[in-house]
Amino acid sequence: MAQRPATERLRRLLIILPWLMEQGEVPVEEAARRFSIGVDDLIRDLELVSMCGLPPYVDEMVDVFIDEGMIFVGVPRLFTRPLRLSEVEAFELLAAGRAAMQLPGADPDGALARGLRKIAVGLGEDDTGLLVVNPTPPVVQALTDAVENGHRAEVRYQSSTSAEPALRQIEPFVVFSSQGNWYVHAHDVGSGGLRTFRVDRIESLSVVGNAENEPPLSMPEPGRWFADADIERVTLRIGPRGKWVYERYPVDEVSVADAGGWVTVRLAVTSQQWLARLLLRLGDSVEVVEPSTMKSVRAEAAAQVLRRYADG
Amino acid sequence: MADRVERLTNLLALLLETRRPLTLHEIASELGGQYPDAGQARRAAFERDKASLREIGIDISSETFGGDRAGEMGYWIDRSGFELPNLDLTDDEVRALQLALAATRPDSAIGEEALWKLGGVGGGVGGPIRMHLPELPALPVLRSAVANRHPVSFTYAGATRHVDPWGLLLRDGFWYVIGFDHDRSDRRTFRVDRCESEISIDASVEFERPDEASLEGALPANPLLLGDEVEGAQTALIHIASRRAWLVEREVGTDRVQDRRYDGSIVISIPFTNEDALRSWVLGFLDDAELLEPREVRERLVNWLESVS
Repeated sequence: MAQRPATERLRRLLIILPWLMEQGEVPVEEAARRFSIGVDDLIRDLELVSMCGLPPYVDEMVDVFIDEGMIFVGVPRLFTRPLRLSEVEAFELLAAGRAAMQLPGADPDGALARGLRKIAVGLGEDDTGLLVVNPTPPVVQALTDAVENGHRAEVRYQSSTSAEPALRQIEPFVVFSSQGNWYVHAHDVGSGGLRTFRVDRIESLSVVGNAENEPPLSMPEPGRWFADADIERVTLRIGPRGKWVYERYPVDEVSVADAGGWVTVRLAVTSQQWLARLLLRLGDSVEVVEPSTMKSVRAEAAAQVLRRYADG
Repeated sequence: MADRVERLTNLLALLLETRRPLTLHEIASELGGQYPDAGQARRAAFERDKASLREIGIDISSETFGGDRAGEMGYWIDRSGFELPNLDLTDDEVRALQLALAATRPDSAIGEEALWKLGGVGGGVGGPIRMHLPELPALPVLRSAVANRHPVSFTYAGATRHVDPWGLLLRDGFWYVIGFDHDRSDRRTFRVDRCESEISIDASVEFERPDEASLEGALPANPLLLGDEVEGAQTALIHIASRRAWLVEREVGTDRVQDRRYDGSIVISIPFTNEDALRSWVLGFLDDAELLEPREVRERLVNWLESVS
């Protein structure tokens, strides 16, 4: 295995050492697991720092020794405190925390709120300039309650393929928002399989009983929940004005932009109607590359909408 | 050659422990042979170590001596600038931060490392409700500029913008930076993921953030009002077929419904500033929506359709 870079090893050590000093003694395995580092790597790096030192206090700087799978730490002199949070880390914590505070059920006086206040104060910064506004539709709260209570719900759902909303029963497992849209991942009782539904297409919801299915082991990843589904793909050439398409929708791949800002994008098409809407909205900023059966979709959709305007 | 981690650790210890600034010559002799003897190679190795320490968040301070050592540089590390201040977080507060990260930024290595520093662990599974936050390298830079009130510049829509960033706002899955645009002499809102260059900070200037710089009101709730121009909203009348009426009414609000027809369809009236956004929104309904007014916008929409039919 390749040697990890020196900076990464030192950075990790400066995180591990203060923790070890607080523990006093700890099994090597436990420390390695906690800090996602190999046991051999950890032992080697700890032995290395235990030999560090400067005249006249050689061997005194970091008093660490390892015996029979245990790490023992003596009286600490140096590296007793972790490194301060970097700007990137501080942002990560504050943004994640503020976003989580917007989710239904967050307690404004709870542990998260208190923790965030302490971090902002500790950073010595006025952090009023970081704000998260993510309005959650009321259905999100109802779905979350159903997940927490293990309920089966009946929803009136407008699928992208049918003309009218239809009733269906679902057992929701997780509600999530990605790229501005809310989704619920659920067991679909009618089809007997896992499905991801758009929350804004749920017209109404009522609890009809208890869920009978266990949640799956893994949940859909952001941007990838279509990946394993058997859904048709389309390849499009999209101009610079159509950027929002690959910013907003989960795509399999986006090519590097050419000189004119056009890119080639491959994405899942849940229905021909969905594609028709997308193509019309993009107008002359899009071309269908393949499949060739989809090349006439835009013109047909345009003609269909024009008929309506001709009547008006 | 000794392991580089050893030399870095020793250098770090020496510069933390010293009570006075040390010259490179003194550092090299304290570290007994860990740096090359030749002046130029030694300087290069030391500069590389300085850069490595800076990379992990440790700045080496320096000053130029006077007197009989005039011109020589002395180095040390300020311990208070390097250690995490005691934030006094309780275990349940750290766990709450871990859950927040699991719900919004799963698999974030940066978040995990931050939690380690706070005495917690990363990983874990978010609860029944999650919101995935996008990752953008510009965000930490912008937050730092907002917090320290430094102006920034970046390329946006092909032009360089000089902006006093008043705040960062996350809405509906997108990050926006709001501030005073010096090139436009007005308040502007920029989508962070649309910034076309790296963000550069001018740390020599500290701007005043006006009291009325309310961020919450900075973004219109109606996406049809989003655009570079904020003034001069027009009103659009749109006829929505009955089978989509509930969806639209819920989206725009009942007070925008101007007319309810016998067949269950509705006519809504909404303000817009961005014609492209309006057309895109209307066409998203295919023939379930018809733009009635303004007439000239309707005509341009028909031309748009004819050009692709």
